[in-house]
Amino acid sequence: MANLLWLQGGACSGNTMSFLNAEEPSACDLVTDFGINILWQPSLGLELGENVKTILKKCISGEIKLDIFVFEGSVVNAPNGTGEWNRFCGRPMKEWVKELSEAADFVVAIGDCATYGGIPAMAPNPTESVGLQFLKRAKGGSLGTNFKAKSGLPVINIPGCPAHPDWVTQILVAVATGRAGDLTLDEFHRPKTFFSSFTQTGCTRNMHFAYKVSTTAFGQRKGCLFYDLGCRGPMTHSPCNRILWNRHSSKTRAGMPCLGCTEPEFPFFDLNPGTVFKTQTMMGVPKDMPTGVDKVGYIKLTAAAKGMAPKWAEEDIFVV
Amino acid sequence: MREQMDAVATARDTKYFTERYGLSPADADHDLLLRMIEDMFFDGLVTEVEPFPETDREFGKLLDILRPLSADELRQKLVISGWLLEPYGPDRMRCQECMYYLVHRRWCDLPELNLPAKPDWWCRLWRI
Repeated sequence: MANLLWLQGGACSGNTMSFLNAEEPSACDLVTDFGINILWQPSLGLELGENVKTILKKCISGEIKLDIFVFEGSVVNAPNGTGEWNRFCGRPMKEWVKELSEAADFVVAIGDCATYGGIPAMAPNPTESVGLQFLKRAKGGSLGTNFKAKSGLPVINIPGCPAHPDWVTQILVAVATGRAGDLTLDEFHRPKTFFSSFTQTGCTRNMHFAYKVSTTAFGQRKGCLFYDLGCRGPMTHSPCNRILWNRHSSKTRAGMPCLGCTEPEFPFFDLNPGTVFKTQTMMGVPKDMPTGVDKVGYIKLTAAAKGMAPKWAEEDIFVV
Repeated sequence: MREQMDAVATARDTKYFTERYGLSPADADHDLLLRMIEDMFFDGLVTEVEPFPETDREFGKLLDILRPLSADELRQKLVISGWLLEPYGPDRMRCQECMYYLVHRRWCDLPELNLPAKPDWWCRLWRI
């Protein structure tokens, strides 16, 4: 039996909604098949008020063993570093976060806000939001660079806006069943099992990427979304086209450009007008190249690919 | 006043194309549109090749000007987009490598232009 406590900071509850949609395994499977005891969760917990506070205090004192502490949403520090803008159970949430993280065997940050600050931490960041151990790409966050949970692992980051439900439940099962040692984390503390490949990996538009045929307007099923509509699939680490959403699709398959929500910088360019759904270029060349590709190579590759592109690449091949 | 002047210019262009080719650009097929474009340049059409839109904001401003133009406003489309019948610049940029160019259809797929083009042509909305 592994005790799990889940709290929310500066959050929209999107990751809770995502978690409740999990299928492999489902949220119920965590309890019935994998021995996870959910002590409290904002949308599932039955306790209110003082009873919640009692659970938190017992976790901190050790009276209740806290195996997994899950946090969703940013850690709010405003105003002036006090955290008073996000109070919970009689005190700033940031104080609960610190003490519960120190008491837990594993700390798991879920969603972009908890991992890297996300949208709340976007400039000018009026809530002084940070992630648990990062603020965007900078190490530190709320718990500090050197924080390690009792297990010896730093905060396990499962980013996304929201995180895919199966990423969440599979990591929780791994931790709860004693297989945390199998987890390897990348430099941003993301489990490599999910975040080594790219969003582009498995995208149905890959052939259009290869032959440099662009989607030039929403609704087109031909073409790649990277060249004109701002898709970040070639430089975003996520398995969105390997572990499909709702088991059958993904943003890019449905014609929606990837926004790069599993990367620390999300939302990119602070959502300045003209930066969303538009590939940012300088003198006609994309500012952000596919990972590992340089400008000279990109131009040469484009010339060769367009010269060799087959006729079908310019057509909507999904129409029968 | 400006709208009235634009409307007059458009009507004049439509009349010009209809008298010369029997069709306006909106009704012309691929080959006839290519001919119309080439003929305008042979007749001395000068387009706004510079400044090149270095950033997306500048690029977007050009699209905002092009978007309301109808298919018959071919002359304005060519002028605003800085259309040329040859490669441009030291890098010899041309339609063939542009992201909006469909090489088999020989067509510029940028919705705001939506015109036939030859591989060695170019315009300042070029992007790779």
